[in-house]
Formats: sequence, C-alpha cells, structure tokens
Amino acid sequence: MEQRPVLRVNQVWKKYCRNLKRSMWYGLRDLAKHTLGIHRPQPLRDALRPGEFYAVREADFELPEGQCIGLIGPNGAGKSTMLKMINGLIRPDSGSISIRGRTGALIELGTGFNPILSGRENVYINGAVLGMKKRDVDHLFDDIVGFAELEHVIDDPIRTYSSGMRIRLGYAVAAHLRPQLLIMDEVLAVGDVGFRMKCFQHLRTLVQQGVSIILVTHAVGLLPRVATRVILFEKGRITFDGDVQPGIARYEECLAVRNQQSPAVVSTSELNHPRLVAAQTLNAAGLPQRDFQTGDSLRLRLTIESPGQLTDQRLIVNLGTANTDTVASISNAYLNRTIEWQPGQNQIELTIEKLPFLVGGFAFDISLYGPQLDDFHERRMGQGAFRIIGPSIDTSGYGICGLVALPHHWD
Amino acid sequence: MSTDDTQHETVYEPRPDIQRPAVLLAGIARDIWTSRGLAWRLFLRNLRGQYRQTLLGLLWAFLPPLANTAIWIFLRKQGVFQLEAQPGVSDVVYILTGMILWQAFIDALQMPQARINENRGMVSKLNFPRESLLMEGLGDVMFNFAIRALLLVPAFWWYEVPLSSTILLFPVLALLLVLLGFALGLILFPIGSLYQDVGRLITLVLPFWMILTPIIYVLPETAQHSWLVWANPAAPLLMCARDMVLSQSIVWSTPAIVYGVLTLPLVVWGLLVFRISMPILVERMTA
Repeated sequence: MEQRPVLRVNQVWKKYCRNLKRSMWYGLRDLAKHTLGIHRPQPLRDALRPGEFYAVREADFELPEGQCIGLIGPNGAGKSTMLKMINGLIRPDSGSISIRGRTGALIELGTGFNPILSGRENVYINGAVLGMKKRDVDHLFDDIVGFAELEHVIDDPIRTYSSGMRIRLGYAVAAHLRPQLLIMDEVLAVGDVGFRMKCFQHLRTLVQQGVSIILVTHAVGLLPRVATRVILFEKGRITFDGDVQPGIARYEECLAVRNQQSPAVVSTSELNHPRLVAAQTLNAAGLPQRDFQTGDSLRLRLTIESPGQLTDQRLIVNLGTANTDTVASISNAYLNRTIEWQPGQNQIELTIEKLPFLVGGFAFDISLYGPQLDDFHERRMGQGAFRIIGPSIDTSGYGICGLVALPHHWD
Repeated sequence: MSTDDTQHETVYEPRPDIQRPAVLLAGIARDIWTSRGLAWRLFLRNLRGQYRQTLLGLLWAFLPPLANTAIWIFLRKQGVFQLEAQPGVSDVVYILTGMILWQAFIDALQMPQARINENRGMVSKLNFPRESLLMEGLGDVMFNFAIRALLLVPAFWWYEVPLSSTILLFPVLALLLVLLGFALGLILFPIGSLYQDVGRLITLVLPFWMILTPIIYVLPETAQHSWLVWANPAAPLLMCARDMVLSQSIVWSTPAIVYGVLTLPLVVWGLLVFRISMPILVERMTA
C-alpha cells in the first residue's frame, strides 16, 4: 500500500515585511480581516503591499516516512519562515501544508525553563509544553535524565547548570517525544562533541524507526551524518531538491559566489582597459560543465575584450570557497606564459589538473593587470563557479572530509 | 500512541478560521481540556518561582490592597473627603472589600497581555496550546484574589460586621467580575500586542478609572442607574458583589444583571479573537 507522505507542502507562498511600522499596520488589518472573516486570498501578483516581499515562493515538496531532509540556504533565504509554517506558528499566504500525525520541534532547546526551579521540575514543565502527559514523563523520566547525563544534579536549580547542561536537558526532553515529524532548527551544532555524536546516533535511530525529520542548519558539513536529502532555498525559492552531497556543493557554490561578490567588480579609473566578459568551466573534453568529481581536470575558459593590442599582460586567477578566503592563486607569469590581447575578444584557457578538492562549491576571482606591478585593469569576483559533487565524503569519522583530499598512505 | 494520533491530519492554509466557527470552537475547547495539565504545571511553576527571591514572600500578595486602603483611610481621617458608608459598616471594611475586588478585576484585565509578553520566547517558537497560559493566568488571578479575600476575615471580626447568607453569592459575583476583566483583556490583547500604545493607555487610565468606580465612596441612590455606572464595566458587578457581603439584603441592580449575563459570551468571543490573532501576531513578533 502506498503510504501518504508525512508532510505535504503544496505551492506555498509567504509574504514578509521588514519595516516595523508598516508591519504593525498590516498586522492590524490582517487581524481585522481574519476576525471578521472577510479575508480573501488575492491573486499572488497583486497581493504584495508596499514594503512587502515574498520570503517563500512556490515552495512545493513532500516528505515520506523515515526520511531526513536538510533545509539549507544563505541567511534570509526563507528556511526559517518555511519551518515556522510547518510548525504551525504562522500561516501560509497561499497554498497549503498538510501533516499526518504528531509534530515535534527542537527549536531553541530549553525554551520555557525556569532557572529557579530544579531540573526535575523543569523536565515535567518542558515535557508538558511539548505535549507530553504527566504519566508519559513519569515513564520516560529516567531515560531523559540518563540521556542528558545529569543524574547527579537533577534536583538542583537549573540556574546552577552550565549552558551545555541546559541544552543537553532540553534536547533529552524533546528527543523523547515520539512524533511522526520532527522539526529541528540550528540545534545540531550545540553541546560538546561527545553529546553531539550521541544526538546524531539518536537521530539515525529515529529515522530507522520511521520518524521523518526536517533540519535547518548552516553547519552543512554535519548534514551527511543524518540527512538523506537536501532542499536548498535561495531568495525564497527552492533551487535544489535532491541528494545531500550535490546539494551541499550547490549551497557552498552559492555562498562562494556571494562571498566574493562584494563588490563584484573593482576596476581602474581609465575608461579603456581590457575587460573580462565571460568565464566558463569546461571538462577535460572541452565541454561546458559545472559539476566535477575530486581528481577531475577542469578547464577555465576566459573571454577578455581588449580596446587595442596590448602586450606583456598579466592574468591572476584566485580560487575561493564558501568558508575560506583564497585557497589558491595562479599568475600566468609563474609558468612564463606570455599574454598579448588583440583588439576585440580574446580567449584563454587555464587547465587545473586533478582537482584536489572534496565535495563543496567554488568560484574564481579574476584580475587583469598590465606589465608593471601597479598596472591594474580590473578584478571580477565570483566568476566561473563550479561544484565538486563526489565522491562522497564522510564526516562521521570513517572516511575523509575537509577541503582537500590529501594523497596519503599508512605504514 | 494510538493509530488515531498517527493518522490525524493537520492542514495549514490561508483561509480564516472564523469561517468555520464550529471547528474553531471545538479546537479551543479541546486545547483547553488537553492543556489543563500544562496549565497546572505552569501555575505551580509561577507560584514557586514568584516569591522565592523575596524576603516578604506571600505578603506581597496582601500589600497592594492594604496599602491602598490605608492611604484612603488616612486621607478620610484627615478630613480630605467624606465617606458615608452603609449604616453599621466600617469604612475600612467598605474600602477594603472594594479594593480587593477592583484589584482582581484589573489583574484579570491585564493578564492576557502580560502572560504572552512573559512567554514571548515560547509563544513565538513552540506550537503548544496557548490557552494554557490563559488558564494559568486565570488561576493566578483567582489565587491572589482568594488570598486577599482572607484579609476580610479578621477585618469583619474586628469591626463586627453582621453577616448574612447573601455572602455566599460573593464568590460567584467576584468570579464573574474576574471573567469580565479577562474577556476585556482578551479582546484588547491583539491590538495591544501590535501597538504598545494600548498598554500605556491602560496604565494612564487606571487611576482615573478607579476613582470613577465607587470604591472609596458610596454612590447615592439616585446615581445607581447613571450612565457612569452603565459605561464602567468594573462598577456594576463590583458594587453588587460588595453589597452581597455588606448589606443585609440582596440588592440586584439592572446593570449588574446585564453585565453578568454578557460575561460568558464575552469570554467566548475573547477566546475566539485570541485564537484567531495568534498566528498573525507571531508573524509580527519576529518582524
């Protein structure tokens, strides 16, 4: 029998307003309309009021039983808004969200803890807030405290706990809910390493038991440990929905481009200077390609427009990632390659042999110079973005991960 | 976990909930019922937490009405104003009874906003029955009222106030007064959450409102039906409740009956408004 999905997000749109005064006024109007029942969903293109924009556009996906998806994207891309709608805290402006069974949320662990009361009292309160009955908590109490490893201090007031202990207790309570759908927001990167490992182990067990999980995180390196699928949000839209590693690569590529984009172009004040008009990555066979494997060769084809014949030119190519500054910089002078621009368009190719990088996203900064040290023409950021999508990395301690694959052997 | 629980489908869509009032009311009733345990836990949490860091402890519950009464008695003794209390009833008992009722009314009025403000973090991040916060708040208001009402026992004994059976109606009317304040608080709450002007206005208006309510003076017979009584939601039930303890006979007034009958529908309406406005307010809370 075909199982209905646990979560169905159907063509969801959500408006948002950053201006406080306007936002309050719109809130008041929405209140009036909803209280009087005269609210009518408008056609989307007319529905935006001044100062509003769509924080989520056309989101559409399903989550089957026992799947863990990572919701990723740059800040302000709409992930958290999406999560709030799934959690039922706010309503979509268009479309619908249906959820089968009970939803649990791990958001800001320990929300509602009272510092004056003991850990024991707070476990009961937190459990009740999350929808557990007293006898459920009675039944699970020892497991919860054991999971949090706080048996020795459970009767002390919470304010004597360290932040790590509070988070452990918060996670332990929430983790013992038995929801069909578990929503997690940025709670993976908390606690000490040992406890984090325990959480991952626990999440994997939940997934095996058929619990569906949505987790929002910026720590994408941790995703492969639990997630089996990634949804990437960019400017409110879903731009990728698929396997974890290519998804992470897409996300990092988009970060790499954004990182290098401010400002996108720096150029000399001279009006006539050579300009980079296109940058494209090609595979070894010379065909345009953006997805590579570790160890592949990559050719970067640059198109430069020159106002006249210029000799003894220099080209500097910097390679950067989402999380680092430049990781490699190459000047044509290094291999004594001379460059001469002809009037009009010129093409030049740089081949990088055996890309040493592991799964991730990358982009180039291209700088054009004349013969002298200070003959600067222009620099363009975030060019020729590409991704390494495989082979799979392993962040759980049974393989390799990081930025590059180091050739190595053991003796 | 029952199969029913795992197959239950929740749908979130833009359509206003008020278009299906029966579903909405059923949801409110269900949440109030299922969150009674949570409300009780929160009530105990606040009770235990509230006075743990004070020296005087529970005495703080008694102090505001006592201090208020003391000031007015002092002023009257100085001859600043005249009070013709009911024959055979001491001024102290008269003012204290009124003060305790008034305090319960304004506590209930300000409670919904205060509860949501205190629990803003939980409200904007977790999906739990928010009605539990209201139930807890009501419990708190009534608990404080009950404690203060205990003040009346020694006062009655000391001033030898004659008691009659109508005193049994006092708690009922006090409850109605609290519920009326609660309903008004619920109806003001959504606007007050968006615009802090509402809260500031209430703070500004409260002292005048208290003076307009016959707490420190006796309303003359001729003024019992004046528009000042009709327009002041606090007055009719407060006066009636006080009459029940201090007067020998039941003195029903038309405004008290009208407000009494209106209270429950107003509470239901307030709960509807509260429920409908929650997602809209959470959206603006994070804005």
